[in-house]
Amino acid sequence: MPKRVLLCDDEVHILRAAEFKLKKAGYEVETAADGLEAWDAIQRQRPDVLVTDCQMPRMDGLELVRRLRGSPATADLPVIMLTAKGFELSTEQLAEQWAVKVVMAKPFSPRDLLQQVEHIVGRADGADQPQPTLA
Amino acid sequence: MATAVEKYGWTAVALVGLGLSLLVAWAGDTVLPTGPASAPLSALALAALLGGSALGLLLWHYRRQQRQASRCLEALAQLGPQDLFSDTSDATPPLPATHPQAQAIGRLREALSAHLRRIQELEHVRAALEVRCRRALAQYEQIKAIFSHLAEPIVVVDDYNELLLANRSAQELFGFETGKAEDRALAKLVQCQRLVDLLAGTVSRKAPGARTEELEITDPQGRKRWYRATAVKLSAGEGAEQRGAGAASGAVAVLRDIGDHKALQKRNAEFVSAVSHEMKTPLAGIKAYVELLADGEAEDRATQEEFLQLISGQADRLQRLVENLLNIARIEAGVVNVNKQPRSLNEILEEALRLVRPSAEAKNIQLLSELSPMYLGVLADRDLLLQAALNLLSNAVKYTPQGGKVILRSQTDGQHIRFEVQDTGVGLSEEDCQRVFEKFYRVKKDRDMAPGTGLGLPLAKHIIEDVHGGTITVQSKLGEGSTFAVVLPRAGQSL
Repeated sequence: MPKRVLLCDDEVHILRAAEFKLKKAGYEVETAADGLEAWDAIQRQRPDVLVTDCQMPRMDGLELVRRLRGSPATADLPVIMLTAKGFELSTEQLAEQWAVKVVMAKPFSPRDLLQQVEHIVGRADGADQPQPTLA
Repeated sequence: MATAVEKYGWTAVALVGLGLSLLVAWAGDTVLPTGPASAPLSALALAALLGGSALGLLLWHYRRQQRQASRCLEALAQLGPQDLFSDTSDATPPLPATHPQAQAIGRLREALSAHLRRIQELEHVRAALEVRCRRALAQYEQIKAIFSHLAEPIVVVDDYNELLLANRSAQELFGFETGKAEDRALAKLVQCQRLVDLLAGTVSRKAPGARTEELEITDPQGRKRWYRATAVKLSAGEGAEQRGAGAASGAVAVLRDIGDHKALQKRNAEFVSAVSHEMKTPLAGIKAYVELLADGEAEDRATQEEFLQLISGQADRLQRLVENLLNIARIEAGVVNVNKQPRSLNEILEEALRLVRPSAEAKNIQLLSELSPMYLGVLADRDLLLQAALNLLSNAVKYTPQGGKVILRSQTDGQHIRFEVQDTGVGLSEEDCQRVFEKFYRVKKDRDMAPGTGLGLPLAKHIIEDVHGGTITVQSKLGEGSTFAVVLPRAGQSL
């Protein structure tokens, strides 16, 4: 049974690149264009990992994570956040307050994204993954 | 007769005294019998003679002195003030040198002239002091008026941080009146502890020099305002102490409103953040697809072609952003190379439509062209006007939800040429309509709806109004959409 990843970004080309990389690695990938779409998708079927952009129309990534943490069914859903915000976003606060496992700065490497997803779903070889820092 | 009596009276008295003495002497010698018994009488007569003579001489000398004094006074009475008070040493003497009173009058004249000079000097000093006093009073009034009307709030405290002076702006900002304040402790009058500390620290410092701090102050209306306070220690100069003016000490703080500066800082930070975000998004695409291609992930030709197209599209997007930034910077700096020629407006608008169509189709937005069938000639820089039209159209597409409609119209009333971009998008509030052309201003909901630099509309406005002498306006209703209307002069005319 392949692991499921939900990708959420308002930029179609970003979704396409990440989706391509993860699908090739054998993941089942679903995409959403904003936080609301992602929320609905999660309500339908909980993914193993959520990869979400931060700044999006209608509902941004932070609001989506807040909602998820407020719901018992998704309180522990692993989240990787992609952001082009730089230092405006506190990775520490995201980790401590909202249990965001990884924050990846844009532009990001699809290879690194795959590595982080593998690490979270436990398919990695157990080695500690390097934590990306915000550029 | 009286004068004659006065003149010769004392001489007569002296002569009479002398005569009586002689008579007594003679009587002593002739009437009285001679002999030893008459000797005392002869001595008495001699003494009377000598006494009478001395008295006569004394009276004569006294009289002579009196006459001299009288003559001196008469000579003085005959002199005019110009003779006596002449303060020039080479002035003609009032009396001839041979005049018996010339010497005395000369000395008197010198003494009076010296006094006159002194009086004149004192008069000059008094007049100068009066002028200085008036000037100082006028200056005081001027300084008082300037101090009172200065826009910058100014607060002056003494060594104990008690209020000495505060101008009108300071009183309005902190909400007190100096005349009514009973407790003059600054900490009681001013609800800004950092200003109190700044002044207290300045007073206690030994070294001179200004101290500056940025303060956020809440005014009596509850508005938060930013000020840069510069505090300087007041110290009396040596001159003040010598004059007995007392040592002026304490400190003065001048507060400069930096609200605009802070707002600009904030807008700049937001702008840099938006530009950075806008640049990172296409870069993220380029980097991701280059990596996928480099890793050989795109195995078939079609996928490789698709990825290359995506890279090219994102590179174009990045280029547009950089061009927007450069264009607005150039236009603002006045270094843009404008090449205005008679052009067909419709041709430029059709080109803009062609460029924006893909993004409209991607959002399933109907892009309608209602261009005038007439030739609309404008004197325009093709590239710049195309950029303005493109910005208006892209904006309309960006803020119109999927399935919406964007209409581009052009028309003329014979004098002016007009084109407009109408959308069925989210619309703008009244405040947004007024501010939407401000550089870096982004409508709040836009930030959530779509990323942007806040430069597209300001750039369009610059191009239409500053470069082409036209006007650009917006009409909008929240939830119903917006219409951006541009009016341009016909080629060869001005608005």
